[in-house]
Amino acid sequence: MLVSIVFIPIGVVSLFASRDVVEIIDQYETECVPQNFRNDKVSFIQSNANKTCTRRLTVTKLMKKPIYVYYQLDNFYQNHRRYVKSRSDSQLKDNSGWDEVSSCKPEDMSNGQPIVPCGLIAWSLFNDTYNFSLNNQQLAVNKKGISWKSDRDRKFGRNVFPRNFQNGTLIGGKSLDPTVPLSKQEDLIVWMRTAALPTFRKLYGKIEWDLQPNEVIHVTLENNYNTYSFSGKKKLVLSTTSWLGGKNDFLGIAYLTVGGLCFFLALSFTVVYLVKPRRLGDPSYLSWNRNPGGH
Amino acid sequence: MDSESVEDFYSVGSALSSSSRRSNFSIQSKASGRNSIREANFGGLEPKSVRYGSHGANSETNSISMSQKEIDVEDARLVHINDPFLTNERFEFSGNSIRTGKYSILTFLPRNLFEQFHRVAYIYFLVIAVLNQLPQLAVFGRGVSILPLAFVLLVTAVKDAYEDHRRHKSDRIENNRLASVLVNDQFQQKKWKNIQVGEIIKIYANETIPCDMVLLSTSDPTGVAYIQTINLDGESNLKTRYAKQETLIKIPEKDKITGLIKCEKPNRNIYGFQANMEVDGKRLSLGPSNIILRGCELKNTAWAVGVAVYAGRETKAILNSSGAPSKRSRLETHMNLEIIFLSLFLIALCTVVSVCTTVWLRRHRDELDYMPFYRRKNFSKGEEENYNYSGWGLEICFTFLMSVIVFQVMIPISLYISMELVRVGQAYFMIRDTQMYDESSNSRFQCRALNINEDLGQIKYVFSDKTGTLTENKMEFQCASIWGVDYSGGKAISLDQKDGYFVKVDGSVLRPKIKVKTVPDLLQLARNGKETEEGSHVHNFFLALAACNTIVPLIVDTPDPTVKLIDYQGESPDEQALVYAAASYGFMLIERTSGHVMIDIQGERQRFDVLGLHEFDSDRKRMSVILGFSDKSVKVFVKGADTSMFSVADRSMNKNVICTTEANLYSYSSLGLRTLVVGMRELSTSEFKEWHSAFEIASTALMGRASLLRKVASNIEKNLCILGASGIEDKLQQGVPEAIESLRTAGIKVWVLTGDKQETAISIGYSSRLLTSKMTQIIINRKSKESCRKSLEDAIIMSKKLTTISGTTNDTGGMSGAGLTPIALIIDGSSLVYILDSELEESLFQLACNCSVVLCCRVAPLQKAGIVALIKKRTSDMTLAIGDGANDVSMIQMADVGVGISGQEGRQAVMASDFAMGQFRFLVPLLLVHGHWNYQRMGYMILYNFYRNAVFVLVLFWYVLFTCFTLTTAITEWSSVLYSIIYTSLPTIVVGILDKDLSRRTLLKYPHLYSAGQRHECYNKKLFWITMIDTFWQSAVAFFIPLLSYWGSTVDASSIGDLWTLAVVILVNLHLAMDVMRWNWLTHAAIWGSIIATFICVIVIDSLPFLVGYWAIFEIAKTGLFWLCLLAIIVAALIPRFVVKFLYQLYVPSDAHIAREIEKYRTQTESGAVGREMNSFLDAPRR
Repeated sequence: MLVSIVFIPIGVVSLFASRDVVEIIDQYETECVPQNFRNDKVSFIQSNANKTCTRRLTVTKLMKKPIYVYYQLDNFYQNHRRYVKSRSDSQLKDNSGWDEVSSCKPEDMSNGQPIVPCGLIAWSLFNDTYNFSLNNQQLAVNKKGISWKSDRDRKFGRNVFPRNFQNGTLIGGKSLDPTVPLSKQEDLIVWMRTAALPTFRKLYGKIEWDLQPNEVIHVTLENNYNTYSFSGKKKLVLSTTSWLGGKNDFLGIAYLTVGGLCFFLALSFTVVYLVKPRRLGDPSYLSWNRNPGGH
Repeated sequence: MDSESVEDFYSVGSALSSSSRRSNFSIQSKASGRNSIREANFGGLEPKSVRYGSHGANSETNSISMSQKEIDVEDARLVHINDPFLTNERFEFSGNSIRTGKYSILTFLPRNLFEQFHRVAYIYFLVIAVLNQLPQLAVFGRGVSILPLAFVLLVTAVKDAYEDHRRHKSDRIENNRLASVLVNDQFQQKKWKNIQVGEIIKIYANETIPCDMVLLSTSDPTGVAYIQTINLDGESNLKTRYAKQETLIKIPEKDKITGLIKCEKPNRNIYGFQANMEVDGKRLSLGPSNIILRGCELKNTAWAVGVAVYAGRETKAILNSSGAPSKRSRLETHMNLEIIFLSLFLIALCTVVSVCTTVWLRRHRDELDYMPFYRRKNFSKGEEENYNYSGWGLEICFTFLMSVIVFQVMIPISLYISMELVRVGQAYFMIRDTQMYDESSNSRFQCRALNINEDLGQIKYVFSDKTGTLTENKMEFQCASIWGVDYSGGKAISLDQKDGYFVKVDGSVLRPKIKVKTVPDLLQLARNGKETEEGSHVHNFFLALAACNTIVPLIVDTPDPTVKLIDYQGESPDEQALVYAAASYGFMLIERTSGHVMIDIQGERQRFDVLGLHEFDSDRKRMSVILGFSDKSVKVFVKGADTSMFSVADRSMNKNVICTTEANLYSYSSLGLRTLVVGMRELSTSEFKEWHSAFEIASTALMGRASLLRKVASNIEKNLCILGASGIEDKLQQGVPEAIESLRTAGIKVWVLTGDKQETAISIGYSSRLLTSKMTQIIINRKSKESCRKSLEDAIIMSKKLTTISGTTNDTGGMSGAGLTPIALIIDGSSLVYILDSELEESLFQLACNCSVVLCCRVAPLQKAGIVALIKKRTSDMTLAIGDGANDVSMIQMADVGVGISGQEGRQAVMASDFAMGQFRFLVPLLLVHGHWNYQRMGYMILYNFYRNAVFVLVLFWYVLFTCFTLTTAITEWSSVLYSIIYTSLPTIVVGILDKDLSRRTLLKYPHLYSAGQRHECYNKKLFWITMIDTFWQSAVAFFIPLLSYWGSTVDASSIGDLWTLAVVILVNLHLAMDVMRWNWLTHAAIWGSIIATFICVIVIDSLPFLVGYWAIFEIAKTGLFWLCLLAIIVAALIPRFVVKFLYQLYVPSDAHIAREIEKYRTQTESGAVGREMNSFLDAPRR
């Protein structure tokens, strides 16, 4: 009963919180490939063709600032064992460890030189870019502070600069500005926090602007990132946030279910008890009293 | 030597006495010139030189032993007396230093590791750790994977090292003790460790014997030495050992003793020794009475000289010091089966993962090169090569092995370690239990076997010895029948005659240590002397009691200098009782040597020559002594069991007396008294001479001495005039009837196996409430196989009839409690001879199953074991054997649980037992309380451990399904290693030691509760599978709630991994908390402490910047979602368990549940609030 008393309100509250969150999701990995390449998306993405693509997003409800811009990848196993292990934390932290690349295979060396940052994770850094405009006015995307402060301060060194990065025969993703230290490369920092699940979002930036209903946002995006080779989906997500995080009804429903179940159980126990009580601690229920001598 | 012995009497082996002795010797040895070269000097005495002689002797003995066959040449050990150099020429005999320590500093590491890896569990650990070192399979970091193994090994190693250190210390003390050894014809102090086989050692009174030695001479002119074997077998009475006449006269310093002892190889039998000794060309045979063993103490004898034959680790004491035989608990056997299930499950999980990997690789085989998260090809080296990809088969194989590594905790290795710890804890509480502390003997409960604690909760059959187990084995003389007249007290006479009987000697009062109740008219008769006919019979009767025994009187000082107590020491408690009785009737045994006895008869000290003594043996069942009176008449006194005595009685004489005596005997034994019959005969001179020569021949015979002696004895023990019989009460131990009753209500079948007569057994059965008047008795005592078969068949038919009839009458009558008409089966040893090991066994078993009580009388030790085996073979029920004497050893070792009573009959039973205690009644708290607790706790603990590890593994497994079936773990590797070490281990151990489902009072009040263990209620297949289903549900909840909550969010692997870790740990600990029945601060500390410790560990792990999950816990703990998930997981996961548990308690409550409610209810009514019970109950489902 107690459980239900606590759980049902929590469920309601979290459902409301989840409902409050306004999300715009735009799946673009197919639409941003020209019609003639639709049969062979991989060759398109590997070609040097212009990959710019424009999307129109309509705001359904009022979106209060800050609005978070995420990219969501489906079917991308950032938790794959080979992938997760292919990094070198000591290299990221301090300049002195720049050649500690043994754990980074197969992206440890390029042209005989260690790569900084090495490893598959860094190599496959997401490189689609988004530009938002509202009524032909550029909407600024704030890319500062999208990563964890702890990561910037202590995990990614201030004196570590990209070196020999994306120099190999195979380009996996975004290149990094060799003059900017890793602690400032927030896209990389976000990406390096590998996702737990094969469907994940990563923060791209924040829009510090309230969006009114029915406003149309034009997104100019560079569709560079190759998810086609493993038929992964790419989505652009604009979302507000609540105290509970993003939009997810599951927990609210779960709470309501559990609470309801508890309520039902408590009720039925009470009924059952009233209908057919058993006196507690009644010695006559002891097995040897019930059927004498029979054991 | 005589004078010397007097002089040194009671000297305490000090420097003073030894120096005086030495001076004594020097005077004596002056003539022959001591300290001169040995060989030259003693050449006269010993015609051959030592070396030559020994060789000669060697060949000689060879030829003789061929014919003799007593000791095989190959198996013999040759000891050259007083020549350790020659004896140890071939270095085959160990020195006297002992090493109970297992390791030295150098060998510690390899040996300890070797010993530890005898456990299969550790090998499993090791294999996993080694697998993990292969680069392809490195799931965990190298350090992490070795950590748990290293931890366990280290803990065990430290424990072993400490124990070994203590052993070394005690060894050092033991090895450096001093003993005087004959070196260059002088006794010198020598450290024990330097003593060698063949050396002559002199022991003084109260000294401990350093090695096993053959007695050569003692201070007693007849060569008797008294030793106390308390360190060896716990018997506190003195035992007599004899030196051979031939060596007795020699003085080691003066007369060079040379000779050869040929004895058996070292063995463990402390009651057996076979050897022969060759001295001065004469061959003497040696038996167990000629050897004194290491660890014994010399008592009552000023000194003894012996030659070391076994030293150091070859001594019988050390050979016997190995631990109890290891038994495996029933629960553990069952558990192993479930472990196999778990292994299969583990293999299944790994197979699923491998198959999924295969499918995935197959479906994406074209994309593998380009997938950013897979990247089969390595381009960095210029040319393309495969990166970490070894083709199909190997990839699948690797996946399988990796999943074994990841899911390794599925097999709860830690369970074995925690089980051991829990058992130690349980044993600690059992030992500390004051209800099992015997004040009279100052003995605590002992746990000798540590691995069958929980079996105590499942006992179905108790096999008990009678004497010393049910009874105290403190014999008390109760009544006598003399010349057919029954002198049984009738009115119990108190000891009001102040101090009983006493004698005045040199102004001091001598009094027997134990006072015996006396019958006044008998006392009067005894005092009147032997003038009347009646009086002379009484006189002879008590004289027989006082003389015909092997008791040694010891004079003990008391604080009051004028009073001295006389303490009778002997091997048989019956004899002690008889001698004490004789003493209180005025026939006080004052002194006994091998040549004479001094008996104070009504204040008049009389000396009788002991002309011969035939010791008791189990074939004859009687003993006799031949006394030479001062008037030169010779009489033989015989004492023995009734059957054996009447068969040698002179029936023609006084038929009347025999008849009445028999009648009296019958009435005595039906009172539960042990009876002995006493007889005598006067020997004519010719008869005596005839006997004497026969006795001489027999006692010096080399072969078949025992049987020859027996023949001589039975020649003289005939045509006896029966003097009378004695009745000795063997008192029941305190609380035995109650104990037996509660054992029986607990559903335990109590069988009594005794060596006593049928009547005695039945009467003890009644007095111990084993038999009641309501029972139908079936008695089987037949003398042939056929009649046994017949009576068994009849009995089965009868028992069936009885059970069915009583069943129906019971229904109609509606009698509660009484149940069936119980049947008692009484069967005797001679019938068992025909039944055991034949096809009749089966029918006996059937019959016995129908009977609630089985009483076996007149059974031999091996038959006891046979009966236990009869039950053990045919049922899966647990058996417990309890006994106190050496005759129970076989039974104790045969039964599933052996309990030894550390009583009067020595420590043989205790040495063989798994548990030892002081009194029979302690069996009740041991079984009903501790057994129940141990079983319940252990059963729960095993299930819980299975659950705990499986939950964790399943959470890992679910995650693997979302990582392309590559063995990624979101939970950090450190957490998964610490999971079973820190996060969850302590609470189960604490609960396993401390939890009590019911209070001691309730358990003792309702012995029926014990049957839960017999029905395997706490651990069975059903429970296992229920637990596994619950595990499945809980793991699914713990995994999928966060998964779905965080699906498509920005959460990173480390954060959600922390959530899973914490969720599982809290879940698992709360699950335990829910099942704890009795909380105390330790339980609280362990459970909540573990949760807190987990938080701390997770925080610490996430504060290490070089780990991937840096700061993750702080980031995720900031969000409300995290805490909501945690709460939802815990509640949702535990609800089904709670509901099922509640429904069970409400509708199919087990006895334990109800009893618990009674407990609660009681306390609540005591506090005066009955209504609160209802409220608290209604609140219960709401949580």
